[in-house]
Amino acid sequence: MGVILPTAFLSVDVLFSSCNPDVEKEEFTKGNIQLLDEIGETIIPATSGSPGAKAAKIGEFMKVYVTDCYTPEQQHIFWTGITKLKDMTKKKYHKEFSQLTLAQKQAVLKTFETESVNTPNQKQANGDAIQTGKGVENKEAANTAQFFPMIQHLTVFGYFTSKPGATEALRYIQTPGSYEGDVPYKKGEKAWAT
Amino acid sequence: MGKGIQQNTFDAIVIGSGISGGWAAKELCDHGIKTLVLERGRNVQHLVDYPTMMKEPWDFPHRNNLTQKIKEENPVVSKCYAFREDAMHFFVKDKEHPYIQEKPFDWIRGYQVGGKSLIWARQTQRWSKFDFEGPARDGFAVDWPVRYPDLAPWYSHVERFVGISGNKDGLETLPDGEFLPPWEMNAVEKDVQKSIMNHYKDRNVIIGRCAHLTRPNDIHLQQGRGQCESRNLCQRGCPFGGYFSSNSSTLPWAAKTGNLTIRPDSVVHSIIYDTSKNKATGIRVIDANTKQATEFFAKIIFVNAATLNSNLILLNSISSRFPAGLGNDNGLLGKYIAFQNYRGTLSADVDGFTDSYYYGRRPCAVMMPNFRNVYKQETDFLRGYMVFFSAYRGNWGHAVNGEQMGEAFKMDKTEPGNWGISMMMQGETIPKETNRVWLSKEKKDEWGMPLLSVSVDYDENDEKSLKDFLNEGSEMLSKAGCKNISTNDSKQAPGLDIHEVGGVRMGKDPKTSLLNKWNQMHQCPNVFVTDGACMVSTGTQNPSITFMALTARAANYAVEELKKGNLR
Repeated sequence: MGVILPTAFLSVDVLFSSCNPDVEKEEFTKGNIQLLDEIGETIIPATSGSPGAKAAKIGEFMKVYVTDCYTPEQQHIFWTGITKLKDMTKKKYHKEFSQLTLAQKQAVLKTFETESVNTPNQKQANGDAIQTGKGVENKEAANTAQFFPMIQHLTVFGYFTSKPGATEALRYIQTPGSYEGDVPYKKGEKAWAT
Repeated sequence: MGKGIQQNTFDAIVIGSGISGGWAAKELCDHGIKTLVLERGRNVQHLVDYPTMMKEPWDFPHRNNLTQKIKEENPVVSKCYAFREDAMHFFVKDKEHPYIQEKPFDWIRGYQVGGKSLIWARQTQRWSKFDFEGPARDGFAVDWPVRYPDLAPWYSHVERFVGISGNKDGLETLPDGEFLPPWEMNAVEKDVQKSIMNHYKDRNVIIGRCAHLTRPNDIHLQQGRGQCESRNLCQRGCPFGGYFSSNSSTLPWAAKTGNLTIRPDSVVHSIIYDTSKNKATGIRVIDANTKQATEFFAKIIFVNAATLNSNLILLNSISSRFPAGLGNDNGLLGKYIAFQNYRGTLSADVDGFTDSYYYGRRPCAVMMPNFRNVYKQETDFLRGYMVFFSAYRGNWGHAVNGEQMGEAFKMDKTEPGNWGISMMMQGETIPKETNRVWLSKEKKDEWGMPLLSVSVDYDENDEKSLKDFLNEGSEMLSKAGCKNISTNDSKQAPGLDIHEVGGVRMGKDPKTSLLNKWNQMHQCPNVFVTDGACMVSTGTQNPSITFMALTARAANYAVEELKKGNLR
């Protein structure tokens, strides 16, 4: 249930050799929590049947979970990504993330998605960077490549275990009363929350 | 007799209130025996002391995950699947109860009234004749001093009271019991069952048997328990008493007789042996909170502190008659500790069946009784393993193709994913003299008890058994049409199975065993050991129901012996 990232190939040296002071300063300010709400809502928006991540207070959830349950290495990946996202948004649109259109928000997140380790080519590039110990940019690239899977997982996990997510987007019954092994299922019917 | 001693004198003392201690108390109290139960942990009253039983997933600050701080402070117990935010309070914290790992051993403990019966997995299977005959046939450990027919009526006795759901499958390798209606298999499990049983004529796939009230009988209603509601949140304690625990069942029953006294916060230091009377006369207790020492007295003593704890207490019970621990003339106390091999797992994808789903959360898996070396030795390893598997559809965590954010992504996530299957082993291991526990001479815990040193390891037989399970599992899943089959060796330390047994083994010969066929110490017949410590071998079955049956049998024997005046 917790985040399981392929951190095996990222040595602690790599992660802490970042010289970006902005990353070190970041923390869960009101502004950052609002930003996380917006990011979360972009990944899981309100739809006709159920609210989105914002209604599930996804920013507050991330604050607790990242602070208490992440290793220092994971927290570094998180804040490196957030810092880069804020920089990128400012440079490209001269606005805050919350002021972007939906298409623009998605474009920003898609930049991270493309960099993510889920593509084999990027995995190889990241692996090479670690092994050859190339410059800071490549090490940072390795970090931010993990950012999208991380923020996506935090949003999905935080949303679907929240009250609105579990009870409105999914089917949740605390006390089913019985077990039936083989029940007809039609496409479109919601999954069980637990 | 002084009033203080009189107040502290009972007919019987039971050490431990867990799954076997609760049974000793119930049987003894049912027969009019004034019984004191000593529990080292705090009181946990059924319903009243289950703080998380009605909580929703979002009520947990970390959605049931562990924080980094908790993991760092609890490197051992945080490995246990059930040690999560909803049930942490029923587990021992590593820092508070140190022990010495001479070799890696994950000692998982629950110190409270009810012990691990609050958090156990509730899976129950009878031993077969093949299991009791194992050591004699295959030449390891010592011969069990009992056989299946000795235990059969006691399995029935405990099963009726506990409430066991299962199907009468008619198998020699896993005898049927007194069953409440069985749980259902889902569509994929039925399909895999059909494939396995078509391809392998000597293998059986059956629904799991477990201590859940699928339909309570009168005896369960009398206990104040009701039907299992398919929540599968058992480790929190059950609002319905739907699964068996000491807290919901045996302890309240014993209390109703008026013969039970239960004393929580009572750390047992040692059993008092009176050399002039040639018997144990009582127990030295250290109060868990005040650290004050008190003594209690009884005619008979049942040791049910859990396997390694019972070993510790007996090793610490030193007297001029027994300088190496109570009853330990042969030096075997603490030796031949064994466990069950849980290292192998498999997972696979299953195509199709997308028009089928399930309702409710079933508290058991599908299982296969051991099919290796059943009638004779056939493989390159001794004994065998049970197999458990279950099939499921992907939940919100399943990977979706296409867009990775937005409306379509969300809608995809809200529907169940494709089917998958996961499979695990529960392997018998061979007890060895070198797998042992002993008391530290220098290190003590905060109650002044010596720390336990543990040296238990896997052997070549375990590696071969594991390899065989992974091969057979792969082949069975492959023949059933499963795809992307992956195998895994968790390399987990012994102990994480939470099925450790031995150290005070039963046997016919006092030279090679500590207990006779009635679980009495050969050298101290008013002391009975009926928890996991008494086991000669491990079998492939989940052990708790066997502990309960052995306990009920021994307790009834003890009562008879008291009545006849053979114990007094």
